[in-house]
Order: sequence, then structure tokens, then C-alpha cells
Amino acid sequence: MTSEPDAPLFADRPEWEDVVPLPQYENVDPLAPIFYTDEYKDATNYFRGIVKTGEMSPRVLELTENIIRQNPAHYSAWQYRYKTLMALKAPLDVELRLMDELAVRYLKTYQVWHHRRLLVTETREPGPELEFITKSLQEDMKNYHTWSYRQWLLAYFNDDALWSDELNFADQMLESDIRNNSAWHHRFFVVFQSGVRTGDENREEVVRRELAFVKNYISLAPNNASAWNYLRGILDHSATPYSQLLLFVTPYSVPRSPDADLVDVIDLENPPPSMGAQLPCVAAIEFLADIHENEGGDDIMKATELWRSLADEHDTIRKKSREYRIRDALQKVQV
Amino acid sequence: MVFPRPFPTDSYDTETSETQAETESTLLKHLPLDPNTPLVLQKNLHMQYLVRNLTQGLPTRYTSQDASQPWLLYWTLQSFSILGVALDPDNKQRTIDTILAWQHPDGGFGGGPGQAAHLLPTYAAVSALANVGRPGPRGGWDQVDRAKMYKFFMSLKQPDGSFLVSHHAEVDARGIYCLLVTAYLLNLLTPELVEGTAGFVASCQTYEGGFSSSSQPYYSPGPSGTSTILNAPRPPLGEAHGGYTFCSLGSWIMLQPFLALEDPSTRPSVDFKALLRWLTHMQGLPIELGGFRGRTNKLVDGCYSWWVGGCFSLLASLGIGGGQGRDVDTGSSDSEGELWDEVDDSLWNRIALQEYILLAGQHPAGGLRDKPPKSSDAYHTLYCLSGLSSAQHNVFPSPARRSQLRGSWSPVSEFNEIRKEAFIEALSWTEEEGTSQIIGGQGNRVNATHPLFNLTITHTEAMMQHFYGQTLPQRKF
Repeated sequence: MTSEPDAPLFADRPEWEDVVPLPQYENVDPLAPIFYTDEYKDATNYFRGIVKTGEMSPRVLELTENIIRQNPAHYSAWQYRYKTLMALKAPLDVELRLMDELAVRYLKTYQVWHHRRLLVTETREPGPELEFITKSLQEDMKNYHTWSYRQWLLAYFNDDALWSDELNFADQMLESDIRNNSAWHHRFFVVFQSGVRTGDENREEVVRRELAFVKNYISLAPNNASAWNYLRGILDHSATPYSQLLLFVTPYSVPRSPDADLVDVIDLENPPPSMGAQLPCVAAIEFLADIHENEGGDDIMKATELWRSLADEHDTIRKKSREYRIRDALQKVQV
Repeated sequence: MVFPRPFPTDSYDTETSETQAETESTLLKHLPLDPNTPLVLQKNLHMQYLVRNLTQGLPTRYTSQDASQPWLLYWTLQSFSILGVALDPDNKQRTIDTILAWQHPDGGFGGGPGQAAHLLPTYAAVSALANVGRPGPRGGWDQVDRAKMYKFFMSLKQPDGSFLVSHHAEVDARGIYCLLVTAYLLNLLTPELVEGTAGFVASCQTYEGGFSSSSQPYYSPGPSGTSTILNAPRPPLGEAHGGYTFCSLGSWIMLQPFLALEDPSTRPSVDFKALLRWLTHMQGLPIELGGFRGRTNKLVDGCYSWWVGGCFSLLASLGIGGGQGRDVDTGSSDSEGELWDEVDDSLWNRIALQEYILLAGQHPAGGLRDKPPKSSDAYHTLYCLSGLSSAQHNVFPSPARRSQLRGSWSPVSEFNEIRKEAFIEALSWTEEEGTSQIIGGQGNRVNATHPLFNLTITHTEAMMQHFYGQTLPQRKF
């Protein structure tokens, strides 16, 4: 109905005769005016008229939907729509089905996701939402609103059934793109930041599992900043010294040795770089330097050499920040 | 020339590495073959682009920004200020009248006339008024209803210290930044307003070091329906992001006068080492012309020149990293010889960022942009220019200016201590003399901008002086 492109203007509809439309600017000649279409001007004039009288009726739902379809970022139309839905005690499942359509269509606006959140807070039925979100992420795998909506849903309802398959979900998202940082963040959220999930009570075991997980991903494609950040996240969160990763990190920090493929002992805990890996890997050199700096003493010089090699050769754009690390570390030694 | 290396993909392609490679090849085309090619900031073209928007109006596709009219104006006016131009008196008055039409009868500003009040347009409207307004009748400043605005702010406050951006709307770091800047400029700060806010901001820092949009509090159920917020878990919602990081760090700095009042044992804290590392990693490779990205493994975009590039001077003001800045009149003569030994001790590549903006950020038809081949818009025009400004100039909180301001403060009747600190801290920011680094020659110079507010220092001073009822001492330098 309202989505019909040839729907008549509100000004031409007899059932809107009693509403006084309000133009946007009165006695002001605005700068930077937008050239609205007649349809948009008409609908928003009637919206201002409705807001002024405070009417909350079914026809307000029609009007606000009309505006939202023309401009999904019109937050006042969303806000007024929500208040009207509440005032009318309108069936929210109907509203959610409409949102299923609008969310996919206007994926990148704050309002479509927030309106959903308001509705689900009322219906208290988060279950079907997960599947909907999963589908939306197929369309746009790094959509910030979609991911944060999913995380809100899980944390807000904090229901065991809701959480049960979440690690699998994060896995699947990472499998389709191991560089999707949103998926890495989601994994960290699930494993470390929202309390302890059933089956994850042994935290040392969880840390071991996550370390094995991230090492494996680093070995597939070592120059993946998301995976290294996740590794640092695990270590910082569990207060594990970086030096425990020395054996794993070292082969990534140096050029590939000519006999690399002749390894006869396979260390399952420390997977080697893949055959296609481009070495040395900047993140590994950086990590190794952090290990040496933490060791202190003579190792500081090893750290400064690594930073120097990053600054001059492997990661020149960040020269200034590496030189700062060198100055900072040397100062500490002198003191 | 040395051909810049592509980002290593380890022979393992995914959607991320494919879009990355496409972007690299587009950007590479903008790298001149001759390294001596002059890099020119097309000031006139950009000015004409902005004037065109302002006077001729915006095409229908801008309907999507109908609820962001104060932003469109702020982006345009602040771009003018950075380019060093001002509106004539008639257009200034027209602008002020337009802005006042957005004020909501119950306080705050909406995205347009008759729209609901919202923190984001409130910030944009007040910042636009800092650019063009003045005290007195029709001047815009005294027509802002500060008492109602404060009530509006308080009506948005949440138990976890955060704020909704508007009634029935979302919580996020942008809203908190916008609220704090407005409260700073209009002299609305109270301990009640910001209670718990620093704790909320700190909880948004993610394991990567940057900040997310918001966090979710958990409650412990208490007797008879009462509940208290737990310190943990308080998970960040969404990954570390350049825009939210700027807003969070800016908020953190604006909250410093209040943090000092909190009990040290429970005072919230931020991991600055992790933040610094994340920020420096947002700068793209030479093949990306040194532009900034906003999240790990996403593409560079001109607007992060400000959101991420602008964070370094904020961090330096807290004593983190280099580039703290030096007063010229330190009074000690013995240091003169070595004063400028190392001019640029900042932690990021300010030269590369300028090159990104000049080579890739400028649209040939005027205005600035995300990256080629995108078109320009008002938002990217301002944030590319602001980023360029922060790459050219070092603006820092000057100890000399701070003590000067402290000496000239005349006490106010309400919340004197807090407001005094806020005033002094905000206005101690000073452009460091003699350390500007301008790529492409003096013709490319743009004005310095206040690292916290993104207004010129002059506009910030004039507005705060008015609302705090203070007379500013002359700058000695």
C-alpha cells in the first residue's frame, strides 16, 4: 500500500483532510536546502502536522512507514512510530515481519537495527533473531550494526539456549573469511567477555583451546592482523606471558629457510607457516620484539634490532612509532 | 621509483584480500610516476564545491541526510574555517536563523525543523553556531535554551553512565562525545551529568586496543526488584572502530576533571599501550598511500584521517607517546640551541597521510572523498581537511597557557572548581610554533583545528569565553 510508487500524496487523500500539514521552514530562507521529491515533502509535511497534535493512530503507522521507505535515517519517524505502536498496543510480530524486509533493504542504517531491538525487548522472543542475523551477515559480513545487535541480543537475554551454538557460528563466519575482523571480535566476545558458557568452566583449558585455534589460523595465512590481535587478546586477558609463544612465533619472524619443507618432526602445538606464507611476517617480528622487551636485560638489544628492521625495512610506514619504542626501551635500561 | 609492495596475502585469498587488492591497484594509479610532481591542495575548487552546496542546494540523493541538516551545515562551515574563509554577514545571519529553526521546544536540537531532539545534531548545531554565531539578539548564542538542554541531557542518562542519543534510541560513544563537547562549550557540566560516564567509556575498549560503539551492562538482581550494575562482565558491543575510538578518547579526556575526584581504588582505566598500538596499525601501507583505515582488515578511507589521525594529539596530551609539544617562552635560555633538534617526534606518519589526502582524497571536480573513484561529499570534505590539518600542525595543551588561564579565572557561582578545570583544560590547547610540516609547500597550509572539538582555536575561545563569563588573557606568543 504505502510502498506503491504511484500512491497518491497525503494532500490528495480525503482521509487526511483533517490534518494541517506543516512546511519545514517558516520565515526562514535556509542555507544548503535539499531538493526533496514532492512525495517526500508531502509526507514529512503531514508528519510535522501529526507530531504537533500528538496523534497516535493506525494512520500514523502508515505515514511513518511511508517516510521510512523514502528515508530510513529519519530517526524522528522511527521514534514516533515506536511510541505509536506502544500506544496502540499494536501486534509486534507483524511489525517484526515488516522489519525483516526493511532491515535487509536498509542494512546500513542505525535505526532499522535499533527499532528491532526495541521490539524484541518487548516481545522477549530473541530465539528467531539469531537466524535472521545470520542471514543478514551473508549479505554484508562486516556490518557493524548487525554484529553489535547480535552481541546485544546474546548479552541482554543471556539465555543458555541462545548461546549454545554461538562458537560454531563464529567458526563458520571465520571459515568463510579468515580475515573478517568482526568475526574474530565476536569469538572473543563469546569466549572471554560475557561470562562463562556451559562447557567452558575450565578456563585454563579454554585458553589452551583458543591458543591452538588461533595458531592454526596464523599458520594458514600469517599476515593476518586480525589473528595476531586475537592472539594478543587471549594472552593479555589470561595474563599469559608472551614468551610462552616464543617457539611458535620464531619461524614466522625470519625468511623461509630453504629446507623448510623437510621437517621430519611435526610439532602439533606449533604449526609451521603454510607453504604459501610470505615471510618474514611483520606481526611476528613485532611480537618477538615484545617478548624480548619483556625479558629485559640483554634482550632489550634484541628487541631494538627487531624494531630497527621493521622501521627500516619491513614496515617503514610505522617507522616513527618503532623508533619511539626503541627510545623508550633504551631509556628504561639506562634508568 | 621503488614500486610499493602489495599487502602480503600468503597465497590464501578471501573476500577481504580481494577487495584489498582492488583498492591497492586503484590507489596505485594515483601515485605519480615522477616523484617530483607537485602536490597541490585545490583550495579554490573545494571552496567552490562547498559554496555550491550552500547556496544552490543539495541534490535529491541528499534526502538520506534530511535528519542530519545540522551536520551538513557544520561540515561545510568548519571546512570553510579550516580553509581560512568566512561567510559574509548576510549569509551568516541566514545560517544562524536556519540553525535556530532546529532547536526543539523541550531542549536540544533536532536533525531539522520539527524533528526530535538528538545528541548528534545538537553537537553539530552548537558547533555550527561556534563558527557563525555571536552573543546578543539574533546572534544565535543567547537563543540556545541551556536550561532545557541540560534537562534534555539528563533525560537521556542511563544507569551505566551512558546516554541514549535520543529518546527511545541507541546508546553509543558518538552521543557521549557530542554531549560532552556541547556541555563544555555551553558551560553545562555538573558532576551529576557525568557520573559513571568514564566507567562506561573505559568498558568500550576492546582487546584490540581501540574502542567499540558501546557496551552491555550486566545486573545483579537485588531484593524487591532493585538491581545493581556489575563491574564485569560488561562486554563491548562491536569491534574496535576509528570513529568510536576518537569519540571515546575525546570523551575520556573531557572527563579528566571528574576522574580526578573519583576514588583511586575504583577509578576506571584505559590501556593506553594497547590503544597506541592499535592506532598506529590503522595507518595503511605505502601502497595504500599511507591513508588510515577504521578497523582491522578493512579498507583505508579519507575520513579516518581525522578519526584516527586526530587521536595522536589527544593521546600526546595525556603524556602518551611523543609530540607533547613545547612552549616557546619556556624562559630558559640554555635550551635554545637544542630546542628544535627533533621537530617531529610524533608517533605516526604525518607526511604519508598528507600524501594520501592530496593524491587520493581530492575529487577532480572539487570536494574531498573516501577514496577514488568515489564522489566527494560534505562529510569527507571536512574530515579529510581536518585530518590534513592535524598532520600539518601540532596542537598541544600548553603549560604556559594553562597557568595564564588559571591566573585570570574569575570564580563562578555554581560548580566553580569543575567548570574552572574544564575551561582551563579546553582552552590551554595551543598551536606549537615553528613545527608545522606542510607537504607541497606553503600554499597547501590549512588552519589548525582544536583536537578535541574540531573548531578553530579562535572560535572555541570566543564561545567559551562568552558562556563561562570570562575574559581571556592575551596570548604571550
